[in-house]
Amino acid sequence: MGAADYQVDEKGHLEKNNYLNCEKGLKSWLFTIDHKRIALLYLGAMILFFLVGGLAAVLIRLHLWSSDSKLLSPDMYNVLFTLHGVLMIFLFIVPGIPAVLGNFLLPLMIGAKDVAFPRLNLFSFWIYLLGALIGFIGLLDPVWLVSKIKGSAIGTWMPLDTGWTFYTPYSTSTGAGSGWGTIIMTFAAFVLGFSSILTGLNFIVTIHRLRAPGLTWFKLPVFVWSLYATSIIQVLATPVVGITLLLLIAEKVLGVGIFDPEKGGDPILYQHFFWFYSHPVVYIMVLPAFGIIGEIIPIFSRKPIFGYSAVVFSSVGIAAVSFIVWAHHMYTAGMSPFSQAFFSATTFGVAIPTAIKVFNWVSTMYKGAISFEAPMLYAMAFVFLFMIAGTTGIFLATLGLDIFYHDTYFVVAHFHYTIQGGAVIGLIAGLHLWFPKITGKMYNKKLAIFAFWLIFIGFNVTFLPQFILGVQGMPRRYAFYIPEFEPMHRLSTIGMFFNAIGYTLALLNLALSWVFSKEKAPANPYKALGLEWQAPSPPPHDNFINTPIVTVGRYDYGKPLEDLGLKGGVSG
Amino acid sequence: MKIVPEKASTIASDFDFLNLVLFIASAFFTVAIVGVMLYFAFRYRRRSNEDLDKTPRIYGNHILEIIWTAIPTVVVIFIAWWGIVLREKMFAVDSDHITVFVNSWKWAWEFRYETGKKSSGKDAVLVVPVNKPVKLILTSKDVIHSLFIPAVRVKQDAVPGSYKYMTFTPTRIGEYPIFCTEYCGTQHSTMMAKLRVVSQEEFDVWVNYVETDEGPSAELGKKLYSELGCNACHSLDGSRLVGPSFKGLYGSERELSDGSIVVADDAYILESIQYPLKKLVAGYPPAMPAYSLKDEEYLGLLSFIKEVTFGKDQGEELVSILLDEDKVPEDDALLQPEQRGARLVQQKGCVACHSLDGSQLVGPSFKGAWGSTREFTDDSTGKVDEEYVRESIYEPNKRIVKGYLPAMPSYQGQLSEEQINDIIEFLKSLK
Repeated sequence: MGAADYQVDEKGHLEKNNYLNCEKGLKSWLFTIDHKRIALLYLGAMILFFLVGGLAAVLIRLHLWSSDSKLLSPDMYNVLFTLHGVLMIFLFIVPGIPAVLGNFLLPLMIGAKDVAFPRLNLFSFWIYLLGALIGFIGLLDPVWLVSKIKGSAIGTWMPLDTGWTFYTPYSTSTGAGSGWGTIIMTFAAFVLGFSSILTGLNFIVTIHRLRAPGLTWFKLPVFVWSLYATSIIQVLATPVVGITLLLLIAEKVLGVGIFDPEKGGDPILYQHFFWFYSHPVVYIMVLPAFGIIGEIIPIFSRKPIFGYSAVVFSSVGIAAVSFIVWAHHMYTAGMSPFSQAFFSATTFGVAIPTAIKVFNWVSTMYKGAISFEAPMLYAMAFVFLFMIAGTTGIFLATLGLDIFYHDTYFVVAHFHYTIQGGAVIGLIAGLHLWFPKITGKMYNKKLAIFAFWLIFIGFNVTFLPQFILGVQGMPRRYAFYIPEFEPMHRLSTIGMFFNAIGYTLALLNLALSWVFSKEKAPANPYKALGLEWQAPSPPPHDNFINTPIVTVGRYDYGKPLEDLGLKGGVSG
Repeated sequence: MKIVPEKASTIASDFDFLNLVLFIASAFFTVAIVGVMLYFAFRYRRRSNEDLDKTPRIYGNHILEIIWTAIPTVVVIFIAWWGIVLREKMFAVDSDHITVFVNSWKWAWEFRYETGKKSSGKDAVLVVPVNKPVKLILTSKDVIHSLFIPAVRVKQDAVPGSYKYMTFTPTRIGEYPIFCTEYCGTQHSTMMAKLRVVSQEEFDVWVNYVETDEGPSAELGKKLYSELGCNACHSLDGSRLVGPSFKGLYGSERELSDGSIVVADDAYILESIQYPLKKLVAGYPPAMPAYSLKDEEYLGLLSFIKEVTFGKDQGEELVSILLDEDKVPEDDALLQPEQRGARLVQQKGCVACHSLDGSQLVGPSFKGAWGSTREFTDDSTGKVDEEYVRESIYEPNKRIVKGYLPAMPSYQGQLSEEQINDIIEFLKSLK
């Protein structure tokens, strides 16, 4: 279609022939190669998994209301926290921001029509679904189910109860399926990993090859930089899952002793493999959220991002360091004191670039003209929550302290501050920020802010008490606990209600606004400078009607200092 | 509700202090940074849309950025160092400690003492005397468990197929919960035990009251040593067979086939019986089969190996047998040469300075001396053979073993050549 086929109104809204309605029918969605539609497919699947995983969390917290709760059997409790972890980590937050917002925005932000390999992008989505399917099979104790159908079942049905870390030899011996559940789950992680690798490759090539003329590396959005760092981690770390899978199968089928001490293997080796992949994965989850915060704060402060190159290099630095910190999960596993000291030291190396990012975000607000729309509130909440996540991370990195805190609720709280307070808040913030671009509508702003406060207060009431539980010595993954821990657990459960209602409300607000709102979103509702705001809302299939031109820097808000009669600062 | 668990070990105060310092530092930085953010948010809030394009285009400030990179760097290096030092202190084993062997399975703990005392099952109690360092050697029979005692601030995973250790010195009499902190299935959360810190007297009574005689004694180990055929490959006299000798094994440093060095401590020996090929001593073939024994049998073998090294009372036993007045004739001529030697070292007062059980007095112990290689104060080395023994008795200060004083008088003229030969025979018997 030519430019004449698009009727963009004066505000930049594109009612007809946008990417949402240019083709119709289920097939046009399931087999689309448009990065924007693929992003929405991911979003739909991920929200489904998020809701199921969230429901598991609600049940877990209800069960923990009292110390000897009868709500769930211990086995059911174990199954639920496994389900919660597996869904939230592998199916929701690891693909998370890159698959949804990355996919949607990367071509728009660099002025491209699509990613470098649109078909590969669709393939990534389908193997993501395939991986999810395999994961569910693994969770459901398939060996027992099959033997039940054959009529030769022994024992009772026991879905996967290993926790999302699958530590051997527990994971390779549990359940009637005698560990096949874990192998199938690892296979699922491997298939999902392939999806990650392909998306990562796609993004790397896209960023290298498809930038608009004039958009040099150091003019790229910080979100794109964070996607780039994330993609590199995905491509390099994920193959280790494949190696682990092959070793697990070799042990099971050929009887070679690798992880199982009965056969002469070493269970600690499994932990090395697991964390060599799964630690960098934590940064896959949270780096893109850093990028989103780095986009939001300049827009709502009307200021250039403070110290652009420091923000960029700290992302790349975190990605690099993330590969040499994995064994900080294993201080109590009995590694040599030297290894422990080494991994403690490298872990502290993460703190420095992370601190730099926080300083830069806050400084960006200096002398700004700050408005407090929902995305900005989320971004400011992110800074607060991430300060807590970061400083408690220091406790856990500290060798002598982690000997105590390891596998207590302190870790649970820290992890949720990082991943929910970081990655999920980042994702929600980004969904709000780019909602008008994605849907061509505007969300209900008052409701969005109300939902924000529910989430923010609920989250802190849920997880701050868990730090105290950790200090008291409450171990994690406990279906029952001693009565001394009850008050903090009750507080945490109360917080959970607000948190859960907040998320439900925020998602409902976005969904219902999309369907029912009459308000047509303009191309650039925030008067932001990024390239994606030059495209109509919603964008057409090929993103831009006219070739986008980079005339002004993405972060060149406000007036040059000379014009204001000021001196100092750093030029672009 | 107590926020911080009771302090019941020497390390607890160190731990709590670092914890508090970090808490204050974290709270300070969080409040400062979030405070600045909220101040900016208030101070620079958008009052009207005219503000939109009047903001200054500040891209950064290199000096500020260098400062806020440098400050966290210094702070984290300091904290990292402190954490490493604390961990070193946590795991430093006092040489004067009691050892408890911890086994674990789904879903219970077992604590075994060297006296054969044990406590296990759902009501397992780890009884320890107050103010005495405890070393726990941990393993598991099935999956990974983790022993966590909040009151003493330490935790260690119990990993099947290997032996890990942890240590602490309890400082307060009382009872404290023990948790399992590595997820292990259905009853993970009820896999608990108790730490009971008692007085030394109470502990002595408790630990020595052993209900069964099936304890992991050295006797049992000695029996197994021959029954299992350990003696085919491991000598007791230091001679090299297929595998390393047990003589002097315990506590020695061993170079492994991969070039690393390990100390042959409880954990290493227990692991080597079950998983012999995991840590192979350099220069020996991987010939040993894995042994799957009962707990007390492992521990019995361990006690036996310790006894071979330290000769717990073995030397004195020998002397008492050799000199038992009821059985031994007065006339030297009727005695075996080593019996005459034993009598001589008593009569001449050698035993005042040279112990028979390996312990260090003024001079080197006689136990294990024969045939060993000694390093001297002039950095030369020599083997303890007939010539050296003779020289040491007649000219004791000619070569002094490193670490000892030149305190021995010459016995020239007091001991004849024959008597020295008798003493040599005695030394040979005292390996």
